Amino acid sequence: MTDLTRRAAVAASLGALAAPLAAPALRAQALTKLRVSVIPVLDVAPLHAAIAQNYFAAEGIEVDTSSTAGGATGLPGLVAGQYRVTFSNTVSALLGVREGLDFRFISGAARSLAQPPDTMAIVVRKGSGITSGKGLEGKRVASNTRNNIVWLRGMAWIDKTGGDWKRVTTVEVPFPQMADALVGGQIDAALFSEPFVTSAMEAQGDKLERIGWIIQETAPSSSIAQYVAMKEDLDKNGEVFDRFVRALHKGTDWVNAAAGKPELLQLVANFTRVPLERLQKVAFTAYPKEVTTAEIAELIATMTKFGLGGRYPAPADLIFRTAKA
Amino acid sequence: MAGGALAATKGFRPTSGVWLVLALFLLWEVSARTGMVDSPNWPPLSRVVAALVRDTLSGEIPMLVGSTLARMFAGLAAGTLAGIAAGLLFGASTLAQRVLGPTVELIRPIPIPAVIPPLVLFLGLDNGMKITVAAVTAFFPLLTNTAQGLRAVEADQLAMARTFGVPAWRRLFRVTLPAILPYVMAGLRVALALALVTTVVAEMIAGEQGVGHYLVLMQFAGRAEEMYAAVLVLAFLGYALNRGFLWVERRSIAWYFATGRDG
Repeated sequence: MTDLTRRAAVAASLGALAAPLAAPALRAQALTKLRVSVIPVLDVAPLHAAIAQNYFAAEGIEVDTSSTAGGATGLPGLVAGQYRVTFSNTVSALLGVREGLDFRFISGAARSLAQPPDTMAIVVRKGSGITSGKGLEGKRVASNTRNNIVWLRGMAWIDKTGGDWKRVTTVEVPFPQMADALVGGQIDAALFSEPFVTSAMEAQGDKLERIGWIIQETAPSSSIAQYVAMKEDLDKNGEVFDRFVRALHKGTDWVNAAAGKPELLQLVANFTRVPLERLQKVAFTAYPKEVTTAEIAELIATMTKFGLGGRYPAPADLIFRTAKA
Repeated sequence: MAGGALAATKGFRPTSGVWLVLALFLLWEVSARTGMVDSPNWPPLSRVVAALVRDTLSGEIPMLVGSTLARMFAGLAAGTLAGIAAGLLFGASTLAQRVLGPTVELIRPIPIPAVIPPLVLFLGLDNGMKITVAAVTAFFPLLTNTAQGLRAVEADQLAMARTFGVPAWRRLFRVTLPAILPYVMAGLRVALALALVTTVVAEMIAGEQGVGHYLVLMQFAGRAEEMYAAVLVLAFLGYALNRGFLWVERRSIAWYFATGRDG
């Protein structure tokens, strides 16, 4: 063998050895990476289902979730370009829109059920005598954040049950601390969401009392949360979001088909780390795929009634094609 | 062997602070068991320790601790080098101090957690942001201590070196830098304690990494045992880092302590 051919042979064998190594690398490169901001709550089960069932991979997308339990870094992170998609409650997203941020709804995420149980409840101390919004006037009501969906539906419930929401003092208390603050007397009522309602009633049910389902009693089958992206990104890369949402919606189908089954509870337990036995008692939301102009219009009207009014674009302009029915 | 036993008995003298720690642990256990504090957010210590042992054996906590420490030390190293360099500049040049001093004094008192949101904007949510947080934390104690150390180098020592004809660059490495080392070490000790705190706070605020994120996730999952397990881990880490640092300090600047001074 001449020197030249030997060298060629070595090169060829090295090439043959390297080929299988290079192939997956090329395939991995072809995957579009999307960073999605989520919070570890039941509402994002479809996204995790789509990851676990490889629906995103089948669409050539690699989803990297960034989950923040406490802080509200989701929407600011979306504006800053740290995320391509953010899971957000509708009120916070609309407030951003009002302030001129170009958020667009790319998919529905969570909607309240038509019948109780509801994922959100108003809870008071047992024996406090408070049973309605009227009884809460002049009292302290805890919400995890002011001006979000929990707060808004809480104020609507107070209004509907005869109270003046402007005479109620709202204090911000994180969900995990609400039950203790209530039992300890620092607050008079708390606007809870699941799974915190269930854990509070389970652990301190002898001292606490649920007096209302705040969403179901004020706006059954109404908007809770969506997946949001930036208009500029959607204009430029609409096709990527078509694929993302197609896979996400397969995850929604998976979750809806698995409703009440152990595999769904296990999936939720995996990403929320909530113990499985507690999840069995927790109320789930409905998981819609689309966002309707009617639900956005209802929410803007409710927000306007409770002091969050302003100039909002027409709801139809806020819904990207992937979220249209 | 006998020495070890002696040390053990010495550690458990009736006046030892260890007894107070044990008493507090006992109070924790009793208050949770008897219902003195009745809340799912106050589990007995024994259950916290059980969760700690379980998640340690499963490898989850060691991995989280490793990743938190890696970020902290990376930031600490960068912040220390930058802090020493800036400190030398400050100590050596009155011009630098005059020009940069007000900026440094304005930035120094800002609590790092307050600037995490803008850092997220510019540096994202991952290692880059968290390492920067640790680095900024370490930078200021090192800067002030190095500058102060440089000003405190005894003029006699330098004069003597000069008399013996030691060239300037050797004076820097053989007289000045060793003389400021105790100051640098003191700054580093402060930086070490603060960097652990700020790294964990950054992990709690954003991203899915480290002990800080685990702590918040468990809090929101309603798993108080695991949450306190993380708190215990952090307490132990802080203690161990400080003890480890003192050990290194005693060895690296033994001459300083040998002169009867105390760090």
